[in-house]
Amino acid sequence: MFEFSYLKANSLSEAAAFVAAHPDAKLLAGGMTLLPTLKQRLAQPSHLVDVGRLPELGGIELKAGRLAIGAATRHHDVATSAVVRNAIPALAYLASHIGDPQVRNCGTLGGSVANNDPAADYPAAVLALDAIIVTTQREIAAADFFQGMFATALEAGEIIVRVLFPVPKRAAYEKFPHPASGYAMAGAFVAEMATGVRVAVTGAGPGVFRWSEAESALAQNLNVAAVDKLTLEATDLNEDFHATREYRANLAKVMTKRALQKMLATK
Amino acid sequence: MTDTHAANRREDLRLITGRGRYVADSNLPHQLHACFLRADRAHAEIVTINTEPALKCRGVVAVFTGADAIAANYKQFPNMMTFTNASGATILKPERPVLAHGKVRFVGEAVAMVVAESALAAQDALDAIAIVYRDLPVAVSVEDALAAGAAQLHANVPGNLCFEWDTGDAAAVERAFAKAAHVTRLTVVSQRVVPSPMELRGCLIGYDGASDSYDIYTNSQGILMMRWQFAALTGVPEEKLRFHLHDVGGSFGQRSAVYPEHAAQMIAAKKLGRPIKWVASRSECFLSDSHGRGIVMAGELALDRDSRFTAARYQFLCDMGAYLTPTGPASHVRNPAIGMTGVYRIPALHGNFKVVLTNTSPVAAYRGAGRPDVAYMVERLVDQAASELKIERDELRRRNFIPLDAFPYKTPTMGVYEASDFAGCLGKALQAADWNGFDPRREKSRKAGKLRGIGLSTVIEGTAAGMFPKDQVAIEFDAQGRLEVYTVSLSTGQSHETTFTEIVAQTLGVAPEAVTLRESVQGKNLSGNHSGGSRSLVGCGSVCKLAAQKLIEQAKPLAAEELELEPSQLDYADGAFRSRDGEKMIGLLELAKKLVGTSPHPLNLMAEASVGSTYPNGCHVAEVEIDPETGVTEILSYTAVDDAGIVINHSVVEGQVHGGVTQGAGQVFGEHAVYDRESGQLLTGSFSDYYMPRAGWIRDIHVNDHPLPSKVNVLGAKGAGESGCTASLPSLVSAVLDAVRPLGIQHLDMPLTPSKMWHAIQTAKAE
Repeated sequence: MFEFSYLKANSLSEAAAFVAAHPDAKLLAGGMTLLPTLKQRLAQPSHLVDVGRLPELGGIELKAGRLAIGAATRHHDVATSAVVRNAIPALAYLASHIGDPQVRNCGTLGGSVANNDPAADYPAAVLALDAIIVTTQREIAAADFFQGMFATALEAGEIIVRVLFPVPKRAAYEKFPHPASGYAMAGAFVAEMATGVRVAVTGAGPGVFRWSEAESALAQNLNVAAVDKLTLEATDLNEDFHATREYRANLAKVMTKRALQKMLATK
Repeated sequence: MTDTHAANRREDLRLITGRGRYVADSNLPHQLHACFLRADRAHAEIVTINTEPALKCRGVVAVFTGADAIAANYKQFPNMMTFTNASGATILKPERPVLAHGKVRFVGEAVAMVVAESALAAQDALDAIAIVYRDLPVAVSVEDALAAGAAQLHANVPGNLCFEWDTGDAAAVERAFAKAAHVTRLTVVSQRVVPSPMELRGCLIGYDGASDSYDIYTNSQGILMMRWQFAALTGVPEEKLRFHLHDVGGSFGQRSAVYPEHAAQMIAAKKLGRPIKWVASRSECFLSDSHGRGIVMAGELALDRDSRFTAARYQFLCDMGAYLTPTGPASHVRNPAIGMTGVYRIPALHGNFKVVLTNTSPVAAYRGAGRPDVAYMVERLVDQAASELKIERDELRRRNFIPLDAFPYKTPTMGVYEASDFAGCLGKALQAADWNGFDPRREKSRKAGKLRGIGLSTVIEGTAAGMFPKDQVAIEFDAQGRLEVYTVSLSTGQSHETTFTEIVAQTLGVAPEAVTLRESVQGKNLSGNHSGGSRSLVGCGSVCKLAAQKLIEQAKPLAAEELELEPSQLDYADGAFRSRDGEKMIGLLELAKKLVGTSPHPLNLMAEASVGSTYPNGCHVAEVEIDPETGVTEILSYTAVDDAGIVINHSVVEGQVHGGVTQGAGQVFGEHAVYDRESGQLLTGSFSDYYMPRAGWIRDIHVNDHPLPSKVNVLGAKGAGESGCTASLPSLVSAVLDAVRPLGIQHLDMPLTPSKMWHAIQTAKAE
């Protein structure tokens, strides 16, 4: 770890102003990605601006059919929130399967979404539920927010405040953890919305994406067999010595089927 | 002895409440901190190395390079391989300067050492060292290293072949194969793994100028083995090397050796006159701690018309990495050579071993040290033969077991097996695992879309033979008259505090709490072996018993004197000497307290014994279920029946078997040190990419004892440290192959990752 200065922000505006004025400063919330990166000396920020306990970034609230979750909310708090469990149980389930207990007690929703790790869990829910990312500057639709591997629409100095999740009729998430790292080798979030069924896949590609063929097929026939007939195009998926792109395509399909099966079993 | 099955281990409370003392916990006044610059490439000449900028960095005291290693003449590591081959040649030993000099040969090799006031300052300065390299071609596999025109690692090792050795009777094998009714052939790989004990490698070394001697704190498996190696590498006399060894957080063979970093720290400690501390990061451990396994094995088994084995021959390609470790060649040649016949009567055997250098981290002994590898080869061959001949796997084994009346059994290659009941272990294991009731279970899985398989292994391993001819144990009484037992062996997780104190206490008839164990203590003039090769109980444990017996004899005349009787009038029982008439008595510990003040304490003693090889063996049965959609294999149940000899404490043995089986499962399903063929970079350099076994993998495990006493030691023990690993590689792979053989899959190499299984199933379905 290189040396840096640590600051604890007293307010969101103070944090935003500081990072705007210091281009090499980094926000720190849960630190579950940032701290390992620092330990490996892969980043050298001038300052860490701690926003992890700002009240403005907290809170879980259901309002007008939308679940608003503050950006600094810990995975564990999402997983165990009665509000989340009632409104979108699939989201609580997803949060309960991120990392390990240590990660879930430190890592935050905003941190995960802002980092946009291609194998992270939250982006699948954000995209499948067509959530809105509220920042210090604007509201960004999920479809515009995620821009490929570790890339988002966030501008320098822009901070995620909360995420607004439209409450679906029903939804489910299934993931296949990477055998070593535990990150999603493929994860599928399936949501039945007023506008139809949406399927978002994480882990398999360079970034979270919607599986449009599956969505179309499910618009015709909302059953597992509809997905079973499909083959997810593997060309653009990730490949490394752990897994071929064909295997990842298969996993994405199997996870979609299993999530669908789980969703269809709920009323 | 009583079985304390349910008892907690005596060391548990201390270790799980953070009161263990590990290398990183040791500190000396005025210590400096070292950090190593490591090669970022697999094979290159060092054209220039400029350390000047690093010396200007904040907190830096000194920088050391290969020139310092050469000046100190720290470049020839000891080696335990003593064989000569048929042409009289011994193994070629390449030099390994403790900091690379002239060339680097694997990614992670230490090139320079920065010493600074803090570990962070030392780390910061690494970036300031400028090295110009000239890259050379790379060979990371044994096949590539042996190929014509391959990159040459060392000038004195032509063709990267350190040693070639043959054992057995090639002509007899040839004749048997010519007459065989059936021949089964199979090539399998025991892939390279990263042992990964929980505690990181580290070392703290102080130097005393007045006596020109060193104080050394490091992870170790025992004091004598370590001291011998340090002395052999550095030329510093053993009496000038003082070791301070405490708790060790796992070793698995990886902590048995002197490492280059240790010696580099000695150079710095002497030159700077201040202690030097270094604790590796996990990333460094991945790159530079010795790796394990790494053997490509080709086997052939000849059978007659009755499916009896008539001959077997093997070729072993042993990957040693870029340099030879002290234990690597011996563990990859000697131990497999002993186990080539497995548990079977095979009249003719021949083995050819090639010991090969590659541009990878050096390989050393790793839990089982060649025994799991050869057992895996033999058992895979037997399973394959059963499949080809359509004979049940258990039946083919029964037909070929070395029978009970054939012991002691001299194998056609090396070793004399102690009495073992292979058929008994097999029968017990099959019954416990409900082997005969498997078909309905397979059917149930099939209906759920899953592939279920059951597998077995019957294995034996030659173990417990130590490097030092005698194991010695001392019993001494401290200033308060308390009983202390001193050993050379050092626990790295094997529960010595529980087992050894139990042996002494039960032999004496006193409470275990009255006995304190002190292991690998500096200044005790004892000989004996380190912890490893499943030998601590067999060697050290049995001498603990002898020492306790000797204590009773030594105390008797003193007790008689105290009671004003003749020794012949006394009997000893339940911790006390009593007169025959029952009138007078004195407790042994009470007597010891009374004798405090005489120096040395008159009851102090040393006991010793020479203990030969033992042969733990057993039968393991594994049942697995594969999800063909994802390729994930689930271990449904695991049954072990082990002949570890006489068991002192079943829960300790069970713990060793659990750990061994799970470590084996790690190699079967996930662990693999993968080097990039072109660049020589380690692709699995962290736990994000290196697939370790998980505690939850084996949930339904049953460990049963089937003891036949060993005759080579007073306890009758055979050892249990490695057998779990040895038996689980073949049993788990046997189960997986049983699940997929109906699809036409006859062969798979470890690790059987979900990805690999899915592809194999897809390919089989397409054919």
